[in-house]
Amino acid sequence: MNSRRPETLWFWLFAGPALAGFALFSLWPMLESLWLSFCQYDVVAPARFIGLRNYVYLLTSDPAFWPSVKVTLVFTAVQMPLSVAAALGVALLLNQPGRGRGFWRAVYFLPSILPQAASVAVFVYIFQADGGLLNRLLALGGVTGPAWTSSPVWALPVLIAISLWGFGYPMVIFLGGLQTVPRELYEAAHIDGAGAWARFRHITLPLISPVLFFNVVMGVIGALKVFDLAYAFGAAQGLIPGGPARATLFYGLNLYQQAFTYFHMGLASAMAWILFAVILLLTWLNFRLGRRWVHYGD
Amino acid sequence: MLTRHRELLLWLVIGLLAAAGFWWAGRSRAPAAEEGRKVITWIVFISPLRDLYEQQIAEFERQHPDITVRIIWVPQSEYHMKFKTLAAAGQTPDMFYSGDVWLSYLMPFMADLSPLVKRDAGEIGLDDYFPEIRAAMQHAGRYYVVPEAVNISLLYYNRRLFRAAGLAEPSPEWTWDDLVRAGQKLTRPATAGDPGVWGCSRMEGWWGEWLTYIRQAGGTVFSPDGRRCVLDSPEAITGLRFYLEKSSKYHISAPGGHEPLNGFVNGRVAMLVVGHVNFWLNYNQVPDLDWDVQLLPAGPHSRTGGEVAIAGYSLSRTCRHPEATWALMKFMTRPEVIRHVVARGGVAVRRSIAEAEMRDPRGRSHPQNLAAVYGQLRYSLPIPRHPNFIEIMLQVVQPEVDRMILGELSPEETGRRAAGAVNAYLATFAPPAP
Amino acid sequence: MDHHRPRSLSVLVALLLALGACVMLLPLAWMLLTSLKTFPEILRNPAPWLPGQPQWHNYRTVWEGFAYYRFFLNSAFVAAMVIAGTVLTCCPAAYAFAYYDVRHKELLFGALLSTLMLPAQVTVIPLFKAFAALHWVNTYLPLVVPAWLGGNIFGIFLLRQFFRTVPKSFIEAARLDGASEWTILWRLVVPMSLPAVLTVVIFTFLWSWNDLFNPLVYLHDESTYTLPVGLLYFIARADQLAGGSAGQVPWHLVMTLATVMVLPVIALFVIVQRRFVEGVAATGVKG
Repeated sequence: MNSRRPETLWFWLFAGPALAGFALFSLWPMLESLWLSFCQYDVVAPARFIGLRNYVYLLTSDPAFWPSVKVTLVFTAVQMPLSVAAALGVALLLNQPGRGRGFWRAVYFLPSILPQAASVAVFVYIFQADGGLLNRLLALGGVTGPAWTSSPVWALPVLIAISLWGFGYPMVIFLGGLQTVPRELYEAAHIDGAGAWARFRHITLPLISPVLFFNVVMGVIGALKVFDLAYAFGAAQGLIPGGPARATLFYGLNLYQQAFTYFHMGLASAMAWILFAVILLLTWLNFRLGRRWVHYGD
Repeated sequence: MLTRHRELLLWLVIGLLAAAGFWWAGRSRAPAAEEGRKVITWIVFISPLRDLYEQQIAEFERQHPDITVRIIWVPQSEYHMKFKTLAAAGQTPDMFYSGDVWLSYLMPFMADLSPLVKRDAGEIGLDDYFPEIRAAMQHAGRYYVVPEAVNISLLYYNRRLFRAAGLAEPSPEWTWDDLVRAGQKLTRPATAGDPGVWGCSRMEGWWGEWLTYIRQAGGTVFSPDGRRCVLDSPEAITGLRFYLEKSSKYHISAPGGHEPLNGFVNGRVAMLVVGHVNFWLNYNQVPDLDWDVQLLPAGPHSRTGGEVAIAGYSLSRTCRHPEATWALMKFMTRPEVIRHVVARGGVAVRRSIAEAEMRDPRGRSHPQNLAAVYGQLRYSLPIPRHPNFIEIMLQVVQPEVDRMILGELSPEETGRRAAGAVNAYLATFAPPAP
Repeated sequence: MDHHRPRSLSVLVALLLALGACVMLLPLAWMLLTSLKTFPEILRNPAPWLPGQPQWHNYRTVWEGFAYYRFFLNSAFVAAMVIAGTVLTCCPAAYAFAYYDVRHKELLFGALLSTLMLPAQVTVIPLFKAFAALHWVNTYLPLVVPAWLGGNIFGIFLLRQFFRTVPKSFIEAARLDGASEWTILWRLVVPMSLPAVLTVVIFTFLWSWNDLFNPLVYLHDESTYTLPVGLLYFIARADQLAGGSAGQVPWHLVMTLATVMVLPVIALFVIVQRRFVEGVAATGVKG
């Protein structure tokens, strides 16, 4: 039999690269980023300690910080519920017995795995004010559509619509959850005369609450981290990213611009840590609340 | 089952493939330096001149067989980002596109060209550059840029709309009042079937126009030492107010956020203040656009205030082949190239070429008033020289100006808020003491 | 009455699903149709619904004329290296965490898993600083090397869950036969867990193929661009490509590029749809 020592050796041999990667590409950068958040650093001159100035500037003076927080929160508050509701709705439909369910599932899931740079480019063309597909379809119904992508009012709703196209991820997770609900429960409820809503409310919802909760938390975290969507939206129109008029200046995009356009790397690190703190808080909440529900079925 | 040595062989193949992959992944994209061959890197943003540049570089390489020029093309919107990223990675390009907007920003990377410029003053024809251009090539008395082109702020106007309104064309003596009076006569409200005409455009989302008014009213952005923002001065507020009142009081411009797209090209806007010479080419492609230019109308303090922004070449401090790169810079800015640039609808930085052009306009369509183009130089100023000027203007000040033209802020509040925001910015990102 | 309902209900469900599916597929259909039009058709306002004559040579134009094959090959190369590194380092790591009993193992595993919550924005600045100092900017190493050091933590997690279902007695038997741990991993455990490995490969591919953020930060030379950056870059210089008619983006070519970019993903999806769906479902149930 193997003694303990070779086992330890094999463990480090096998897990070593991954643990080294963890130390080099996660742990150390995380700590250095914390340090940089207290520095002024522009990649060319060495970092210079400036205490809490970055945080103070962000919270009190930075003209872009709060607008980007607002854009991100509005997006999260609107997109996450819509996306979860759409995902749950379609998952419920797909969970009905019937032919061709696999095909429909594939159709609904597909858009969520496509590269966002490509799908945003397609949607920017569709949402064009003059001759865009959407406005042409609206015109068939006698409606004159606005300049969707260049209007500060409509740009964010357009981005929400684009991101809703990718609700396939939470949908498949819901489907997985729905399939664990025993059919007998529905049949029993049916015999008891419970209507569709009552069955959903009292059987389905409680039983899929762990996945619902998971989707909500992941939806929130995903919305807080939005970058590709917003960057591609600006780039596909030749706009300054975040435009028009900061209407799509997401937190992640603002951070990227502070770091890699204006080279305020210290300030961007402070922004990163504020984001990280919020995500940690959400994760902790997830763990606290989720512990009651989620059961690990190994 | 695989035999043991076959298995070993399999892992060996995987290892070799991986090694090859890493070699390819880590391969430097720069051409290898050969013995006796100099490689010069040049970063430039993509522009309609791309083919001209490529021709010139090919010609230069033909004349200098020992030099290879590697061009790094980047989209204009990402130019400064790509530049600094390369600099941070220790790959500062030897020669780079620079000029007024970039001069302060890229200053830390620029070599002082004064010794070279003075040594070769005769060869490059230093006296042939307009004095205002020579001033723009320098910072604190040292040369940093050799220019290829220049943008000058001007008053653009649509001659057909002036004729239709029965108005005389703008004169060099015009003031803001004349602009307003003509604008009001040119403005025609939209009716069913007629999109209407605005007397004057208003450039939104950019500092060009409002900064011109501020400077023509006697204001400016930074205090002389560059440490404080003075956009809250009465002069600056006068300039901001004129920018606002073009729509709110005089109704010669569209309300904030309603500026017609490409209005000047479509004949929906009769006059354009400031503009950009890069658009000449586009204007001249529009069949019925009969346009010309005039000196900017004078403000309450002076006519001076429009910008003169040169674009040209700078040499990196870390360049390994300064003489070869300097030869390339001279080659790319020699009169023959400047003539090509002008022929494509640009403004000459050299007096001899400008004068030749004025004597013989080669049947050029527009603008015909070249006297105004070159006359305006005298009333133009370089862009305020702060390393983060672009960022401060677009990210810190512009949002307040946007709110002003949307009617949310008065000019006084705008000036006060903008100055406060810039001063907070300067306090946080003060450049480290040299 | 009660047994009529399911019938009408299922018709309604099918109808709803079909309607929704049309909305989901419409953008892709429009992308494909646009990619087959001519530039004059694009400039005509409104553009015709269908291409007059399908312009299949648009694909050739972008592929050769704009050296798009290079972006494609770059993307494929990066994806291949990232997948290889992920499989070669995540499998052993998952095996180690599944079978070995070492002190603080759970703590280490928890630390690894915690990085799933770490936003890329937190680490990118110090990493950029380090990669710049190593002269790795403008090479593919910043995209590839992390994958060779167990970069896909989710992969390790998924594989560990799956490896645990391999009966311990198999492994003990192999050990008694004198097989080395390395052999047991690659010849016994991995072949028995192929579905999980395939799932990891697919997700790694997607992540690498679709990634915009990292190439944007590290690749600055036109010749090194991957497809997502290449597509946006193409739009940025479209003015010039359109032959000087400023502001006129050649959307037919942009849509051609987008099609080239999504096609491999769709093809992969059609072939191994089940793996995709099960992999996503696993994140929900086990996560």
